[in-house]
Amino acid sequence: MSEHFPPRTSIKRWLVTTNHKDVGILYLVTAFFFLIFGGVLALLFRVQLWSPGGTLLSNSGFNQAVSIHGLVMVFWFLSPVATGFANYLVPLQIGAKDLAFPRLNALSYWFYLFSGVLLAISFFQGGSFEGGWTMYAPLNVPMYTPAVQATTGGTAAIVALLLFVTSITVGTVNFLTTMHRSRAEGLGLWNVPLFSWSWLLTVWMMLFAFAALLAALLLLVSDKILLTQYFVTDQGSSLLWAHLFWFFGHPEVYIVFFPALGIMFETFQTFTGRRIVGRKWVIIAMVLVAVQSFLVWMHHMFLTTINLEIKTLFMATTIGISLPFDLMVFSLIYTMVKGRVRFTTPFLFSLGALVLFILGGITGVFLGAVVLDYEFRGTYWVVAHFHYVMVSGVTALVGGVYYWWPKMTGKMYDELLGKVNFAVYFVGFNLLYFPMFLAWETPRRVFHYADGMQIYHQMATVGAFVLGSSFLIMFYTLGKSLVSGPDAPDNPWEFSRTAEWAIPSPPPLENWPGRPSYASGRLEFVDDTPATDGGATTDGGAMATADAGAALERDHGHDHATAEEHVDHASIWPFGIGLGLFITLLGASGMTGTVAALVESLDPEYFESAGLTANVSYLYSGITVVGVATLGYTLFEFGRERFTAPTMAIAERWPFENVANTKLGVWFFLASDVVVFGAFIGAYVFMRIYAGWGSWDPVPPFTQLGLLNTYILLTSSFTVILALVMAERKNKTGLLATLGTTVLLGLTFMGVKAYEWSYEFSHGIFWFTDLHYSMYFVTTGLHGLHVLLGLFVAVFMIYRVISIDAYLEDSRPVEFFGLYWHFVDIVWVFLFPLFYLM
Amino acid sequence: MTTILPQLTTPLQQTRVDVFNEIFVLFLGLGTLVGIVVVSYTLYNAYKYRDDGNHGEDEDLPVVGELPTGGKGGRKLFLSFGLSAVIVLGLVFWSYQMLLYVEAGPGDEAQEEALNVDVEGQAFSWTFQYENGVESNGELVVPADREIQLNVTSIDVWHAFGIPDQRAKADAIPGEYSETWFIADAPENGENVTHEDAIECFELCGAGHSNMKADLTVMEEEAFQEWMAEQEAQANSGGNESGGGNESATGTQTGPEGNESSANGTDAASNESGANESSAAGAGGNATDAANETNAGNESDTNGTDASGDDGNNDTEDNETDGNADDESGQEGES
Repeated sequence: MSEHFPPRTSIKRWLVTTNHKDVGILYLVTAFFFLIFGGVLALLFRVQLWSPGGTLLSNSGFNQAVSIHGLVMVFWFLSPVATGFANYLVPLQIGAKDLAFPRLNALSYWFYLFSGVLLAISFFQGGSFEGGWTMYAPLNVPMYTPAVQATTGGTAAIVALLLFVTSITVGTVNFLTTMHRSRAEGLGLWNVPLFSWSWLLTVWMMLFAFAALLAALLLLVSDKILLTQYFVTDQGSSLLWAHLFWFFGHPEVYIVFFPALGIMFETFQTFTGRRIVGRKWVIIAMVLVAVQSFLVWMHHMFLTTINLEIKTLFMATTIGISLPFDLMVFSLIYTMVKGRVRFTTPFLFSLGALVLFILGGITGVFLGAVVLDYEFRGTYWVVAHFHYVMVSGVTALVGGVYYWWPKMTGKMYDELLGKVNFAVYFVGFNLLYFPMFLAWETPRRVFHYADGMQIYHQMATVGAFVLGSSFLIMFYTLGKSLVSGPDAPDNPWEFSRTAEWAIPSPPPLENWPGRPSYASGRLEFVDDTPATDGGATTDGGAMATADAGAALERDHGHDHATAEEHVDHASIWPFGIGLGLFITLLGASGMTGTVAALVESLDPEYFESAGLTANVSYLYSGITVVGVATLGYTLFEFGRERFTAPTMAIAERWPFENVANTKLGVWFFLASDVVVFGAFIGAYVFMRIYAGWGSWDPVPPFTQLGLLNTYILLTSSFTVILALVMAERKNKTGLLATLGTTVLLGLTFMGVKAYEWSYEFSHGIFWFTDLHYSMYFVTTGLHGLHVLLGLFVAVFMIYRVISIDAYLEDSRPVEFFGLYWHFVDIVWVFLFPLFYLM
Repeated sequence: MTTILPQLTTPLQQTRVDVFNEIFVLFLGLGTLVGIVVVSYTLYNAYKYRDDGNHGEDEDLPVVGELPTGGKGGRKLFLSFGLSAVIVLGLVFWSYQMLLYVEAGPGDEAQEEALNVDVEGQAFSWTFQYENGVESNGELVVPADREIQLNVTSIDVWHAFGIPDQRAKADAIPGEYSETWFIADAPENGENVTHEDAIECFELCGAGHSNMKADLTVMEEEAFQEWMAEQEAQANSGGNESGGGNESATGTQTGPEGNESSANGTDAASNESGANESSAAGAGGNATDAANETNAGNESDTNGTDASGDDGNNDTEDNETDGNADDESGQEGES
């Protein structure tokens, strides 16, 4: 089964593993490392704030500390902790053996880890990003901040975030496919446990919200490295960033809070011995929040120049979104009624989280009243409010650590130490954040504040150290448990319900002693060995009818597992790709000076007027080249590797019964790509309306060439369809011919594009001289990049056809490539009129 | 509705401070009440239903592997939900009427007499330009009991202009003009009052953000007119390096594209090199700010003369000196 799979004690195991439980542990450990990272930054600036005008950090150092603290906590700690739990538990709760795409799961982890490494490196590249975690424009472009003027460190931090977002996108596609396609028999969507429900909605929100952030970051990186002008101008740049960022930023609040809420639902049910009150309504409330989260972003912009009507609308949606949370809070409270409440460590943390969330919610209502919001904007009231909300989420997540610790490690922890941990945590939390309400008139992110506020800031600083020390207690408690804790039973918690408690602690590699099924109304492990793999006979087959616990004892000899299809758990290539992309982006972060040198040679006049500094960096250029080579090689090997991750034969798949896993994954990816292009096009429309629609003429010199390219792309869509037909007919020559034609058409498209660009360059039209030009080059450039990636895939497929007669037995990969290619064509159909005709 | 209600709920000539306090106190009162009730009820339930080891065997207890279902208590859930929704919605609709008032300003009559001031944020100082072209850097001088209509923008990055004492705030965004207003109460015993650092930046705007502050001076109408006349005279004489002249020169230098690196770079360098506490402040007007800080330690509402205390001019002139100091150091940064 897993002869080649190294044991957990070997380092190699952790580099190659694709198993969801391993990846979950990697996520959790890494995330807590970043908690320490972000926490130390917070302690630094809390010390600075001990007295007004503290001098521990320089101005720039203080700004870096608050900026990176925010970025680390929101991105590199909160979401990944939740991802870690989800990785470990969602497959267990829904009865799957692993995620749909195990290698992609590992890939998203390595992207995450390397993005964090890149962020850490940014501090040593002349100072990290210091424009706040909201990265407001135009402070976020090189021209405005001294430390970022050195450019490299600030760019590296943004590029690191870009890599992180990529990781999220990969993970999102994976989870969506898994949760919609791999639920155990009888486990309808309604029946999914609440932690998994909260995660399902989280990833749905992530799919769209992070795509918007991806687009915003791509534009920002383009400004920072290629010197385009999206966020530089005073012609709408600031508002463009605010819209893009908050369109992502508000759903992000729920993205980080939902998993915590899910944990609270689980622990409340377990430790009160009652089922959640109004379960259906709780789920509906969560769905409402998830949808509505995309309609409230402008409440972050009440003080900008948006008009009263829009303010009113967004005030209404904002207040509206608080109501479903009311329902969820009351549901948690009423679940305790008539229960058997046991004050274990996980429950204490969850109850604490509920109390803190109530306070955070009430203070949030203040912000919903626009007149109050005006005054609270940019003050410690906001800081206190969102820390109460988000860190109450952390509280629940810590509860989750204690709740599932015995399951993950097979060891019990010391309850007394756990309770001490909670007490110190809760005191530290309130001592840290409550005084911020009292100091509310202090502007955020300043260390020169009014004398009267000093007592509150000193309380907060003391609280910060108390809160920090509570995590030391936690690490000690968990470390002690690992070293000398008693073994944990399969189910240490009375009244737990979900499937992870029905299997050993820690669970075996293949999770289940048979095929999990809820067909009879409760969890059973079905023995499918008679290999009559007709997926239709769902309830007839031989099954272990015993109770879940008994089923385990009976089912020790899982020899029949060997009879099943071989399953892979190891691949080094996700690590390799992560490393390759990391090196590439590290190199890219230092390329600004080199691009500036290029600008100087192209347009000395502009170079002069913009006051750029040319500085060709052979070091960073070299790193980039090495990175691209590594990336290319590892991607190639990833594509060649044989890796079996079987689709569950029998599963609940509503509403995607008829879409196979990979195809569904491609669809999810394209959905997020739609948002990316949507944001690019939206940015163009926004800026053009701002400038006055008619004041911009099309940039490309020849409309006819654009039209020609449209025809070329449409024709290539047709040849891809033919390729699929050829593959289905097992016609190797035909397949090669059609794929080859597609590549040729793609190359022709790129050739025409190259001619257009060189013509524009020769007429002094460059991507850096003007906002209007920037938008044309960047938007069509992103599309060109998509075409290029498609061409790489097509060439790889031709290589596979020639070398191993690929796709003749199984033509589906040709179909998946076709989906992508058609999508790229459709995008062009939008871009052509927008940039050539209007 | 929208025209009658505000008049019923808000007496004429309310300042923003009044409006804010009215809403804030109500929210705080209700919020505290709701918070105490809900949290107490939560803890009460947790305690009351603590596990005492008596499991009623007849009950339908959750077990591992069951298909999830909901527990009882749905009706109570909706009752509480409805109650909280009513409170929240009521509060918000009520405060929305106040928003309309705040947005509309204190009424037509007041608006006709309003004093318009253009506010320009620049890393890291504030400049105020009056209708007659007079400019003041680092200090906003206003008459009491009259609506001050602010038109706020920025010439470099996103700032947020705020006078917490007056509950006035507006984002300062390059290329955008956002409006806000306030009415300052008359100073006691009729003397001019300078509120040190009453004006702050509320959006992270770079290395000097922490100390991007300005003073607010409130005068009686007559004193204000005198001050204004003096400013105009100085601007016209041209001999004096008035804040206005300097500032506009700076402004042209620092167009969106010209305001690059070198200027900011120098500022940062000077900040870091000057390691003592006061010059860790922002670029604009280190010396002045340091002086202000010292004074703020003594007493909060001193007037201009005490604040600088270097020469024996009267209040208003002294304020002006401050402005110049700001400007000059700003210029050093540029060159």
